Amino acid sequence: MEFQGEHLFSGQLGHFLVLLSFVAAGLSCFAFLKGHQESDEKWERLGKLSFRLHTVSVFGMIGVLFYMLINSFFEYHYVWQHSSLDMPVRYIFSCFWEGQEGSFMLWIFWNAVLGNILLYKRSEWTASVMAIFSSVQVFLSSMILGTVVLGYKIGSSPFTTLLREHVDFANLPLFQNPAYLESLDGRGLNPLLQNYWMTIHPPTLFLGFALTLIPFAYALSGLWRRKYNEWMKPGLPWAYVGIMVLGTGILMGGAWAYEALSFGGFWAWDPVENASLVPWLTLVGGAHLMMIHRNKGTSLFGAIALVMISFLLVLYSTFLTRSGILGDSSVHAFTDLGMSGQLLLYLLFYIVLTILAIAIRFRDLPRTKKEEPLWSREFWMFIGALVLLVSAFQIIFNTSLPVINKIFGTKLAAPTDIKDFYNSWQVPFAVIVSFIMGFVQMLRYHGSKFGPFIKKLSIALLLSAALAIAAALSLEFQNPFLIALLWTSIFAIIGNTQYFIEIWRGKVRKVGSSVAHVGFGFILLGALISAGKSDKISMNTSSFDITALSEEMSNRENLLLVKGDTLPMGKYLVSYTDRIREDQNLRFKIDFFERKDQGINKVFTLFPFVQLNPRMGNVPEPDTKHFLDHDIYTHVTYAVLEEPKEGEYDEREAWMAVHDTAFLSKGILFLDSIFPVKEIEDQEIEPGDIAVAAKFELWDFNTVKHDLYAYFILRDTSFVFNIPAIKEDMGLRLSFQSIDPQTEKIQIKIEEEQAEKKDFIVLQAIVFPYINLLWLGCVLMVIGTFIAVVQRLKLRKN
Amino acid sequence: MKKLHIVGIVVIAVAIGAIISSLSDSSTYANFEEAFATPESEFHVVGTLNRDKASVYEPEVNPDLFTFYMVDREGEERQVDLLKSKPQDFERSEQIVLIGQAKGEVFRATDILLKCPSKYNDGNPEETGKES
Repeated sequence: MEFQGEHLFSGQLGHFLVLLSFVAAGLSCFAFLKGHQESDEKWERLGKLSFRLHTVSVFGMIGVLFYMLINSFFEYHYVWQHSSLDMPVRYIFSCFWEGQEGSFMLWIFWNAVLGNILLYKRSEWTASVMAIFSSVQVFLSSMILGTVVLGYKIGSSPFTTLLREHVDFANLPLFQNPAYLESLDGRGLNPLLQNYWMTIHPPTLFLGFALTLIPFAYALSGLWRRKYNEWMKPGLPWAYVGIMVLGTGILMGGAWAYEALSFGGFWAWDPVENASLVPWLTLVGGAHLMMIHRNKGTSLFGAIALVMISFLLVLYSTFLTRSGILGDSSVHAFTDLGMSGQLLLYLLFYIVLTILAIAIRFRDLPRTKKEEPLWSREFWMFIGALVLLVSAFQIIFNTSLPVINKIFGTKLAAPTDIKDFYNSWQVPFAVIVSFIMGFVQMLRYHGSKFGPFIKKLSIALLLSAALAIAAALSLEFQNPFLIALLWTSIFAIIGNTQYFIEIWRGKVRKVGSSVAHVGFGFILLGALISAGKSDKISMNTSSFDITALSEEMSNRENLLLVKGDTLPMGKYLVSYTDRIREDQNLRFKIDFFERKDQGINKVFTLFPFVQLNPRMGNVPEPDTKHFLDHDIYTHVTYAVLEEPKEGEYDEREAWMAVHDTAFLSKGILFLDSIFPVKEIEDQEIEPGDIAVAAKFELWDFNTVKHDLYAYFILRDTSFVFNIPAIKEDMGLRLSFQSIDPQTEKIQIKIEEEQAEKKDFIVLQAIVFPYINLLWLGCVLMVIGTFIAVVQRLKLRKN
Repeated sequence: MKKLHIVGIVVIAVAIGAIISSLSDSSTYANFEEAFATPESEFHVVGTLNRDKASVYEPEVNPDLFTFYMVDREGEERQVDLLKSKPQDFERSEQIVLIGQAKGEVFRATDILLKCPSKYNDGNPEETGKES
């Protein structure tokens, strides 16, 4: 059959470019290897040329995929799956990397860009580093090959999978129609991902991932070429760039979760979040050990190990999030594309390579016999790096429970209170790291005298202790570990500020580390206070508390708000006043009032909303009021989304015994009594009839009582009918349907007119105190690291 | 003994501690039979919603209580009390992971993870026709 309107050429072109990029990367890897072995510039030139070709084809395939997305070529599964006709063009990037294939292309893209930067200036490292670089590109390109080799499908390509050939859909009758494209729309982008964070977060994170490759490649070539010390000089600035970019990417993820997702916070210890944090922790440790080595010539093995582990952890994270192994344990891992074998091979290849390289060169590594003095900068930096490594280990081990289950056939699941579990481990680690951060720069390399050192430090120690005690008292901290962290994070801020003042003298380039450390201190402090003292103020204060359910009441964190009613919440009075439909968003207008002197003043309005998407599911999104010293974060946890229709009834059935209650949208129904009757108003009762009446009391929300009667009639022992109780002004109809003599319960059908139902929402509101400290810390840390990078680059030139 | 040896021993001890705590604090994936055999201890139970039985959410009474019936992977059905608000789009869920404990005849869940076909799988081209 000839299908009409398909654009098969772009897929073929894209596929050709993928193949070309794969082959060119392979050729480049081979040529650089030869170039390294034979120290031959000719091979190196070939390698460079192939890498350029690889880069061009990578740019080309990315261009083709964008072209296909922009022009809505839904004949391609990837385009159909990730975009739709009504999607605004600004989300085109989000569509591009929503899927595994696109995000692999993003990663390949960054590696290609970085490789070209390294190639820009030839050095003795070019051949060996680029050989490693190209080998990574071979693996990554293979993930999007989409080609069957010897019966195995290698990779998944956005260019080769046509929608009508996709295994799930190939048999659909739709594809019997040659003109199927004329009526086809895409499935579209997940509404959760339709915001600007999705445009900036993935490229930053993937650039961070890509950047871990550079120090890894230098470290591996250092071992390979027996240049154990020299690799650090070119590698160190890149390690800091990696820290900066990867750190920014992770923090963006947190900010996204906080601003636009209804996670109720900025960090949830989700496996996917952990997987990106862990390589950052080890990279920070590794870069600090590299600093020790540059200044003192020790910690060589630690520096090599940590830098290499960082890259391996990136690969491991990739395996975790993309192989489908996380399964039930994460809400936002990628879908499984059946590539776990390939991903595992990629991971194992570099693990084995790393272990081999270290094992072979282990005896050869230069060592220092002398011990570091206790009060030296290098000793405490080393301890700090070790703590980071252990902290990373704790996180990744627990995140790996699904892997352990797979290997050992166990059925372990993450601890129930996951935040509590991680915090109980990570808070002590943070205490040690921040404490070391506070004083380590006051020490000199090679050792300081303890007396002058402690004298210099005493101000910071005492001042931070005083501030911490004041803060702990006013914020009512009780947990000793949290109080310790309060102290040490303030100490880190003050200690580094002191160091900043000491070395400032107008030289911006020298203060990178102290600015970054102050930033890190603020991040810890902000996270500690905002998460540790976050307060769910949305307790249910509505008048309908049912004491019989008291056991569940302790868990109350949601507030029922009926439209028009005003209820106290925290120090505010809140009122749900309107629902507004804006395109696909249903916004709920929540007014916040404050009691002032005599009256009540409206202070602000929030619009948490639900994004309506019949195809993909509805997504609630929060709205947050930012104050300087706290945020008020709200989201709608439940709302009836359909527009109520007049004349349409919602019905349900209930079994009730005498004195049971049932809850209606406009009041509470109480079954007062059941009794036989001889006559019913306006109804004829025949002599043989058995008629039973149910007397209800209906209490409306103004606590006014209405009596209602419903009847159940049995005629000639076989024919059953009922006379419902109708309360027209409340849109209510109650039918008495049957009696169960054993349980003495009666069956009631409750019908409520939709238009008469109360419009209500269930709201959750959380106060995050001092969360701005966290964001301030993020900005400072990025600025500080940036200054440090610039400084390192300058030092390299000298 | 060198300082670094002490540090090394401490590091290894903490790492072992981390492993032990991960393994001992962990909850377990189980079915209803196992969960009800040891009531009041934490389990993760995977299953699907029984759509034939009514699920009840009455926020007017308690916005933090949602009751429904779930069938686990072995086919056993139990009433579930979720101590949270009803998740939006609950009816669409394809798979449910409950985190909680058995209490009497009821499984009391403190948390829930939903996998919705729309968000995680492919949907169907037949349903994505152009809106005319």
